[in-house]
Amino acid sequence: MTDNLQKPRPLADVARIIRSKNAGPGLLTIDLFFNTGSDYNAAIAAEGLQAEAVAARYGLSANRLRVIPYPLARAIKITMDRLIIAGSPGDNDVYGAQQHALLLDVDIPEGNTP
Amino acid sequence: MSSPSPVKLMSASGQLGYGVLKPAFERGLRHEPHMIGADMGSVDPGPAYLGMGKMATDPGMTRRDLAMLLEGARSLGVPLIIGTAGTAGAAPHLDAVLAIVRDIASERGLSFKLASIRADIPKDRVLRAQRAGELTPLGAFPAASEADIQESPYIVAQMDEAPMVAALEGGADVVIAGRACDTAIYTTVAMMRGHGRGLATHMAKIIECASLCCDPGGRDSMLATLDTEGFTLDCMNPDRHATPTSVAAHALYEQGDPFTVREPSGELDLSKAIYTALDEHRVRVSGASWRDTAPSLKLEAAAPAGFRSVFFAGTSDPRVIARIDQIWTEVRAVVADLTGEDANAFLRARFYGLNGVVNWPAPPDPLPREIGIVVECIAPTREQAQSVITVTKQYFLHHGFPGRLSTAGNLAFPFTPPEVEVGPAWRFSLHHVMPVADAAELQDLFPITYEDL
Repeated sequence: MTDNLQKPRPLADVARIIRSKNAGPGLLTIDLFFNTGSDYNAAIAAEGLQAEAVAARYGLSANRLRVIPYPLARAIKITMDRLIIAGSPGDNDVYGAQQHALLLDVDIPEGNTP
Repeated sequence: MSSPSPVKLMSASGQLGYGVLKPAFERGLRHEPHMIGADMGSVDPGPAYLGMGKMATDPGMTRRDLAMLLEGARSLGVPLIIGTAGTAGAAPHLDAVLAIVRDIASERGLSFKLASIRADIPKDRVLRAQRAGELTPLGAFPAASEADIQESPYIVAQMDEAPMVAALEGGADVVIAGRACDTAIYTTVAMMRGHGRGLATHMAKIIECASLCCDPGGRDSMLATLDTEGFTLDCMNPDRHATPTSVAAHALYEQGDPFTVREPSGELDLSKAIYTALDEHRVRVSGASWRDTAPSLKLEAAAPAGFRSVFFAGTSDPRVIARIDQIWTEVRAVVADLTGEDANAFLRARFYGLNGVVNWPAPPDPLPREIGIVVECIAPTREQAQSVITVTKQYFLHHGFPGRLSTAGNLAFPFTPPEVEVGPAWRFSLHHVMPVADAAELQDLFPITYEDL
């Protein structure tokens, strides 16, 4: 072990924007935007942002969630089935605009420096 | 056949009725666009507006916006197209907007041919599809039941540009459409002038949100110029710039899939889209393509879910906060016993500070020093909902538990009466795709009415 081995950073410190919103009342979609190509690549590779890991955080099976890299905007899209249809009895968040917080502490390991 | 000449389209607003910004709109008029459009629709605010037949926007602001657009379009003599009238685009929404339009025309002495297009789909048509097993749910929706259809006061579908093209060919100057694809507002004039569907739909998908695709994003009018090779985006507010990254990023906004957009008669493929800066303010876009598919419509409906009563409270007692789940379980049991509403009433508490917004896997450590509480009851009648919420409030206030410090009350109420009768609760009952026979049905399901104002 060396002193300069860097710790993983939380997603909240790596991403430029972390937002959630409905994509129609049956789907929730989360967009993560990054400032640099190396942050984007580190996030793409992060174990905590693979479909199975994200689905577990949201209480879903992995087949109800997709992680879609979108390199044109150095962004990652995560689209999932809602547990409760927007605005139906029991829903906490009609617009789906505050469901991003479960991802804020996902560990993003330091990317390989080119 | 000669290739079509470039067409200029102006999106005045992505949410008409919340205030169209005048400087950018007037700058847009000076570019002499071939049409002006605005979207009024949104499912974001939930099922209540579609179910109740009410607009989400303020009537005064809606009237102001409509007047500005009507006068602007008439001054240039170009078509004005409004999509998804009155938030949800069902009959009462459309009728409310038409009444405002007629009133503005008479008040301001504007004279034009108005076309209105209904988007209400007959229940027997939807039931036929449901019985044939043809309704495909979107996202997390379950299969549609006959009750979902019968209990919904309004069922709408998103029209594509076909009925709007017919309305303009019928001589309309102003088209007010019920529920419509937001893209149809802008593809109509582009396709009438011979432009290809892929580029036209991609352009429409971007500008229907006005200047939201810019950096910084905003609500100013957006101008698009479409030719046979691509289109140019130019924000009418000089301080909001369309950049390749900001426009590419807009493909993510409220979309489940950034590479594919499903429309009634096909699919837009954005996987080869290219975004290039023309200068610091404008972007050039090309590369989108279109695939025809079997025609289908996206249905939307909302059904009543009972009557809702709520109360708001808070607590600052650390012992109440530490055992709030147990207190709530015990209060619920008492309420169920007293009111006998256990089977019917949907009684739920949200503890803000603990789990009111997100289903966290564990409580925070340390616990917060205050929490906010919203208790909600949805019951088959308003009387039942009000009865349950009143009893719940009182037993929650006075519920005793071992080690209780504050024996005069567990809750702080911010106002009186603390119980609030909210009224009918709604749920989205349909968000399903229904196949239609052919292109003719895609048009015939959306009847057009003309009137000379």
